[in-house]
Amino acid sequence: MSIHDLLKQYIEEGRIKLDKSIHHELTTYHDPCNYGRKGERAFGHGYYEEPRWVTQQCCENYVEMYPNRANNFCCGAGGGAWAAPYVEERIFYGRVKAKQIKDTGAKLLIAPCHNCRDQIMKSLRKEYDFMDVEVKYLWELVADSLVMEPREEAEEE
Amino acid sequence: MEPLLLTKREKRKLASQYADLCLTCGTCAGGCPVTGVDGLDVRKAVRLALLGMDQELIDSKFPWVCTLCGRCEYACPMNIDLLALLRSARGMRARDKVPGVLHKGVEMCLKTGNNVGIPKDDFVFLLQDLGAELAEELPGFEVPVDKKGAKYLFTINSKEPFAEPEDMMYWWRILYAANESWTTTSENWEGVNWGLFTGDDAAMKEIVGRIVKNYKELGCEYLVLPE
Ligand code: SF4
Ligand code: SF4
Repeated sequence: MSIHDLLKQYIEEGRIKLDKSIHHELTTYHDPCNYGRKGERAFGHGYYEEPRWVTQQCCENYVEMYPNRANNFCCGAGGGAWAAPYVEERIFYGRVKAKQIKDTGAKLLIAPCHNCRDQIMKSLRKEYDFMDVEVKYLWELVADSLVMEPREEAEEE
Repeated sequence: MEPLLLTKREKRKLASQYADLCLTCGTCAGGCPVTGVDGLDVRKAVRLALLGMDQELIDSKFPWVCTLCGRCEYACPMNIDLLALLRSARGMRARDKVPGVLHKGVEMCLKTGNNVGIPKDDFVFLLQDLGAELAEELPGFEVPVDKKGAKYLFTINSKEPFAEPEDMMYWWRILYAANESWTTTSENWEGVNWGLFTGDDAAMKEIVGRIVKNYKELGCEYLVLPE
């Protein structure tokens, strides 16, 4: 089960409620290679639209990067590169991603992948000077947008 | 330099099934952010493999600075399986020559059930401790561990318990809000399979197999890997 389907299902079925006013800044979405291209090739479905939809349930103000979806550029840390010793090459790789992000003018970037988030938040922001852009996991965005309702005890199984 | 005889091509190991369909158009390399690093690019990697120069490719840094992102493969007009080629080049390296911590992580995961070697007791203690912290805000919350019959089994990325434990709470909040039936496991909960990255199929299968075993033994309906 993909996290995208799960999050989408919770929102659609009304099992979680989200407050759109919390993240009002211009927001963009990074397509991780694994959920997109590679998912498409391996399983016949790339998760492009679901995470965008989830993001837009939390953020009113949304902008795309170019190129995106199947033609998106990798963050530069995939395939184990985040843990590999080729730091200079990893940062060099990320220059394309950094430009894509900066060109959107967004102040919040959503990345539903640990590697992508770490590379962008902990490395590229510093190396390419965009510390003013906040980076969140997709599930972090959802968790931070939650409207918590008191639990009904009757539902205990 | 010895001439490369095309008749030697039968011995190629790396060249994938379709690599000889390559048109040398360069589309793949044109869209790749690390083209030229280490004097190579993905089009050249295909040529090396086709010429039977496997060892040159295996010894080069290129398959490792490549992130296996698949952009080249997606754009290739001949639909050549470039990722399989690059990943096998990684896999054919001697294991002690795998760069950095990747192979050590794989060995650690095979030995302890996670890439960073967190012992079971410490892990369960951490989950309970953080769970109790979150319960101050969300009444009744606790982290379900090895809960039989839970609907969803969640794996965990070891970097979180290792370095950023609070980040696990994002999912916990969502699952609490949705009143979901879920669990994680006290052993073999690692969601990051580095065997995938080092080209180590045997290790990869073993690690996946252990997760599936947990999933079956607990009788969960779905497996969720939040990677
Ligand atoms: S895009 Fe495909 S056909 Fe063109 S050079 Fe690359 S591998 Fe060969
Ligand atoms: S998979 Fe590797 S070679 Fe292909 S575009 Fe991505 S980084 Fe470049």
